[in-house]
Amino acid sequence: MCRKTLNKLIAPRIKKVLYSLVVLFVLLAVRLFCVQLGAAKPLSKLASDQYKTFSRLLPRRGMIYDRNLRELAVSINLDSVFIDPALVEDRHSAADKLSAVLEEDPEEILKKIDNKKRFAWLARRIETQAVNDIKRLSIKGIGFTKEPKRVYPNDALASHVLGFVGLDDEGLEGIELLYNQYLTGTVGWIYSIRDAKKREVPGYEYREISPADGNDVVLTIDSVVQAFAEKELERSFKKYNAKGGMIVVMEPYTGDILALANRPTFNPNKIGDYPVEARRNRVVCDFFEPGSSFKIVTATAVVEEDVMGMDDELYCENGEFKWSMHTYHDYKPYEWLKFRDIIKYSSNIGTMKSALKVGDRRLYRYIKRFGFGNKTDIDLPGEVRGIIRPTNEWSKLSLCSISMGQEVTVTALQLACALSSVANGGFYVKPRIVTRVQDKTGYVIEKFEPRKLHRVMSGETSEKVREILRGVVAEGTGMRAEVKGYSPAGKTGTAQKVEEDGRYSHRKFMSSFIGFLPYNDPKFVVVVLMDEPRPIYYGGTVCAPVFKEVAEQLMRYYKIEPTS
Amino acid sequence: MRAILNTHKLIAFVVTITLAALFYVNQQALVYQIGLKVKENQQTCSKLVDHNRILVYNVLNLKSPVTLETKLLAEEVELDMPHKWQVVKIGSSPDKNFRQNAAKRGLFANLFVIGREAEASPNTN
Repeated sequence: MCRKTLNKLIAPRIKKVLYSLVVLFVLLAVRLFCVQLGAAKPLSKLASDQYKTFSRLLPRRGMIYDRNLRELAVSINLDSVFIDPALVEDRHSAADKLSAVLEEDPEEILKKIDNKKRFAWLARRIETQAVNDIKRLSIKGIGFTKEPKRVYPNDALASHVLGFVGLDDEGLEGIELLYNQYLTGTVGWIYSIRDAKKREVPGYEYREISPADGNDVVLTIDSVVQAFAEKELERSFKKYNAKGGMIVVMEPYTGDILALANRPTFNPNKIGDYPVEARRNRVVCDFFEPGSSFKIVTATAVVEEDVMGMDDELYCENGEFKWSMHTYHDYKPYEWLKFRDIIKYSSNIGTMKSALKVGDRRLYRYIKRFGFGNKTDIDLPGEVRGIIRPTNEWSKLSLCSISMGQEVTVTALQLACALSSVANGGFYVKPRIVTRVQDKTGYVIEKFEPRKLHRVMSGETSEKVREILRGVVAEGTGMRAEVKGYSPAGKTGTAQKVEEDGRYSHRKFMSSFIGFLPYNDPKFVVVVLMDEPRPIYYGGTVCAPVFKEVAEQLMRYYKIEPTS
Repeated sequence: MRAILNTHKLIAFVVTITLAALFYVNQQALVYQIGLKVKENQQTCSKLVDHNRILVYNVLNLKSPVTLETKLLAEEVELDMPHKWQVVKIGSSPDKNFRQNAAKRGLFANLFVIGREAEASPNTN
C-alpha cells in the first residue's frame, strides 16, 4: 500500500478523534464554567467541611483546697464513647458486646445505634479499664473523646461546703456554684485540616488558642478537723436516730470556718444515688427555734445594760410562772437563784424575769447586734435570714418567749457567729469559708481577709458572759461537755418543735450545744445541733458529748497546752 | 546542531524542574510525617498526664481520712490522738549540744576533743 493511500485511510479517522476530543473538551469547559459559576460555593463548603476542622479545647476546672492545701475537689480527664451508627456493620452483635462492657441493657444500646444521626453518645466519662475493653472489641464506628470529670477524693467529706457539678462541668451547689466563674476557666480552640484518615495535618493552616485553666479556690476548712467533726456527728446522729444533724467549728477571732457538716449527707461523686433532701446544707438553709441556747443574748443584754448584777437574785417561782394569761414552766423547780445561776441551770422563769427588766426594745437591739434576722453573707448558696419580728409585732408574751429562744428562728451559722462575739471580746466577725482564689502558679488573684463588722458588747461584758457560760459546763446543764484541762464554756438548748397545728410538740425537739474553749482565751467555737433525736432529746445529753469529743480532738490536733 | 542543543537544554530544564518538584514533594511529605509524629507524641504525653492525674486522684482517695478510717474500722483497729500522758517530750538532743559546743571551741581545738563516736551523717548533696 502506498503512502498516499494510507494517509487517505487514516486522516478521516484522526480527524474524527480530534473532533471528538474537541467536543469533549468543550463540554468539559462548559461544565467547568457551570460548576465555577453556579455550584462553586456549596462544593467548596462541602470540601472544606471534610478536611477543615474547628474544635473546642476545654479548660481544666480549678481545684478546691482546704486551708493546708489538701485537695478537696480535682478534675481528671476520662474517655467518653460515641458511635457513628452508619459505620456499624452488625448492630445486634455490637449492642450485645457493648452491653457486657458498659453494664447496660442491650436494647438501650441498640436504640442509640439505630439513631439516624451520625453521632450518638454511648457512655460518658467511663473508666480506663472499660475503654480498653471496648477498644478490644474492634467494633467499627466507635470513637473516643476526652472529657473532664470532677471528682472528690474524700467522697462525702465536706460535701455540703464543696457542692457538686453537672454533666457539663457547671457548678450546681456549694462553692462549686458560687465560685463557678473562677473555677471554670476559658475555652480554647484549634483550627486545622485533616487527612483522609481524619488525622490532623500539623503545619497546614494550623491555628491554636490554648484554653486557660480555671483558678483554684482555697477554703478555710481543715479537712482533718472536718473529718473528726463529721465522725462524731455521724456517731451521735445514728445513736439518737435523729432526723438531721449539724456541726460548725469556727475560729472566733477570724470567723474562719474549720468544719461545717450536716447529716444526712451525700457523696458528690455519686450524686444520683442520694435524695435531694440529703443535699441541703442545713447549717445555712434551715432555720429553727433555738431554745435555751438563745439565752446568751438575754444574758448579754442584762450584763451590758447593767440591769442586774451577776450575784443579784431572782425568785424563780418554784417552777411555775403566770404571765399574761399564760403559764411558763422550768424543767426543774427553783426558788431564789443568782443571775449567773439562772443561765447556769437554764431557768426559763429566771431568764424571762431578767428579760422583763431589760425591756423589749433593748432586747431586740441586742438580737440584731448578734446578727440574728440577717444573713451572715457567708460564701455558701441558699442562706436564709431566720425570722426576728420587729417589736411592734410582738405580743405581750413575746418578750418572755423570745428571751428563752421561742418565737424567733435562727440558723446554726448565726448561732456560731453570735457565740463567737461572746468568745472574741465582743466583736461580730463575718464568717469566712474562702481565704483566697489563686492561679496554677500560686499567684493570688483575690484574697478575702477576716472582717470585724461591729461591736456587740464591751470586752468587760464579754468576759462576764464567758464566766457565766463556763459555769454552765462546770456545774450546770452542760457538764457532759467538760474537757479536762481546757475549761470549755457553753450553753445547752432543747427547743420544742412546732407541730403542723401550730402547737409546741412534746415529741419533737431540736437539741443543741453551743460552746467554746478555753473559756479565758477562746480558740474555737463549736456548735452542735441535732434535729429530733430519740429517745433522749436534751441538748446537754445528746449534743454536749459531741462537743466534748470534737473539742478534745481539736486541742490535741492543734497541740494546745492545757490551761487549767 | 542548534536544534539538538535546544533539545538538550529543554531536557535538562525539565529534569531539573522535575527533580526540584520531587525534592519539594519529598520535603513536604517529611514535614507531614514529622508533624504526625509530633502530634502522636503530644497525644501520648497528654494521655500519660491524664493517667498520672488519675493515679494522683487514686492516691488522694486512698490517703483521705475518710477512707483510712473506714479501712481501720473494718480491720477493727481503733486509732486515736495520743493523750498528754502518752507523750514524752525530749529536750534538745545531746548531739545538738555537742555541735554547738564544737562550734564554740573552734577548728583547732576540735582536733583534740574526744567527745563522741564516729558516725555516718546523711549526704546532703
